[in-house]
Amino acid sequence: MTPIRETISLCPVCLRQLPARHVQDGNDIFLQKTCPEHGDFSAVIWRHNDKLPMADWLGGAKPMAPGTELPCPDGCGLCDAHTQSTCCVLLEVTNRCNLSCPNCLAGGLAGEDPTLDEIQQRIDRLLAEGCSFLQISGGEPTLRDDLPEIIAYAKDSGFGFVQLNTNGLRLAEDDAYVQALAKAGLSFVFMQFDGTCDAIYEKLRGKPLLRQKQLAIHHCNRHRLGVTLVPMIAPGVNAGDIGAILRFAVATSPAVRGVHFQPISYLGAHTAPVPDADRFTLPELLLAIEAQTDGMVEADTLVPSQCDHAACGFHGDFVVVNGALQSLGAPRQASCCGPSAAQQGAPADCCASPALPDDSASYSSPLSAAEKSRRFVGRRWERATASVDFDALETPGLEVDFGSFDGFLKQVRSHGFTITSMGFQDRGNIDLERLRQCSLHVYDGENFHPLCARYLGDAIG
Amino acid sequence: MSDEKLICMRCDKEMVPEKTNFLYMKFAFNYDLPRCPQCGQVYIPEELVAGKMASVELELEEK
Repeated sequence: MTPIRETISLCPVCLRQLPARHVQDGNDIFLQKTCPEHGDFSAVIWRHNDKLPMADWLGGAKPMAPGTELPCPDGCGLCDAHTQSTCCVLLEVTNRCNLSCPNCLAGGLAGEDPTLDEIQQRIDRLLAEGCSFLQISGGEPTLRDDLPEIIAYAKDSGFGFVQLNTNGLRLAEDDAYVQALAKAGLSFVFMQFDGTCDAIYEKLRGKPLLRQKQLAIHHCNRHRLGVTLVPMIAPGVNAGDIGAILRFAVATSPAVRGVHFQPISYLGAHTAPVPDADRFTLPELLLAIEAQTDGMVEADTLVPSQCDHAACGFHGDFVVVNGALQSLGAPRQASCCGPSAAQQGAPADCCASPALPDDSASYSSPLSAAEKSRRFVGRRWERATASVDFDALETPGLEVDFGSFDGFLKQVRSHGFTITSMGFQDRGNIDLERLRQCSLHVYDGENFHPLCARYLGDAIG
Repeated sequence: MSDEKLICMRCDKEMVPEKTNFLYMKFAFNYDLPRCPQCGQVYIPEELVAGKMASVELELEEK
């Protein structure tokens, strides 16, 4: 066991802060901590360090300085020690759900739904705080019949992008509802999609759901709503289906705009210790993507998160050409820019620069990394816009002319595709170095909370 | 682009449209642009720079 990094974590039982360390054993890296009351804890956080070294992935990210004082998790909302402002804000519109998933991250929440008036007040507050990218979440937001009104209010009030996080069940059974969401101005859909066979859904969601997922995509396609698939990856369940999920998504482009992988985490009501065999780490995902797509997606085309801590996830930009993915990014090793400011360990707020209204003058615009990120995903995930004739743009059967500016732009705008990932932290593996760099925040009506802190759950006992 | 004739400042020759290749990151594009038949200098109009080329740059760089 070789110690390689010092950090701060929490006791998984009483949630008190504990000094913690990363230690390497063979090719695996673990987060270890000791609570004076509840004992020793260890969780694997990185596997295959020989093939994809964690130090390389983190770039120049420096560990927190010794003696750093953080108020986590009791100090949330965002405190002075938090180094990122809000990039995307998540608004819970209900705690109800039409599934009972054992691993629901919001499973610990309860209470009455906020009224439409209360939600509108929250949207007003978020806009006043400068937010421009809204994720509507829950619970299952589509259980609300007034969701179209919520979306229309957010868009009319000034949100540039409104994303719906959903399991897709109502989108499958109620085409008129999908039409109403599209008409209200919904930008795009993030839909739970754990795999390409029903056995996966039976294990992770308690029932076979593949047909409903396909129907939901069909209805969204009819109304020009882009869908990004969101698989939760669990070892022993669907870790072997990663390539199949990507192939399904590519074959369904342009209706499907990408895949957003979420390695399983144990948030919400889950408080039991988690065996390392039940964890799936970031490098495992990266290597599985490359291996299971037979090299169609090379791992080095997926680059670390810029707005969050590098260990929290990655993104890759592609275009679908003749049924295959072509990378639009510079390979990770060949980046001319080196590690981001956030990776260099500074308290770098990528979200601080003002946004400019005109994105056409990109080469001279001092856009913040967060604003670039928001606009980038908006371009990739959104289909129908008032200014684009997508029926003409997405006409099938035309040969792709990648050698002309027009042909390139047409294909990228119609068949752009992203592969992204975010790994949430739970009470077993939480690292406050990562938490304080989180830019995905949940708004509870009073405060902003880093997502993982919001769903961490309560102390036991 | 206007239909006005363009004269190469260096050679005083009339520029003629010719397919021009651009390499940007790992992508190759071609576009018909006025080129001096003597020295090979190419004129890239501002509307192309601020329009399609900027859009391609946006798709490849701004993420």
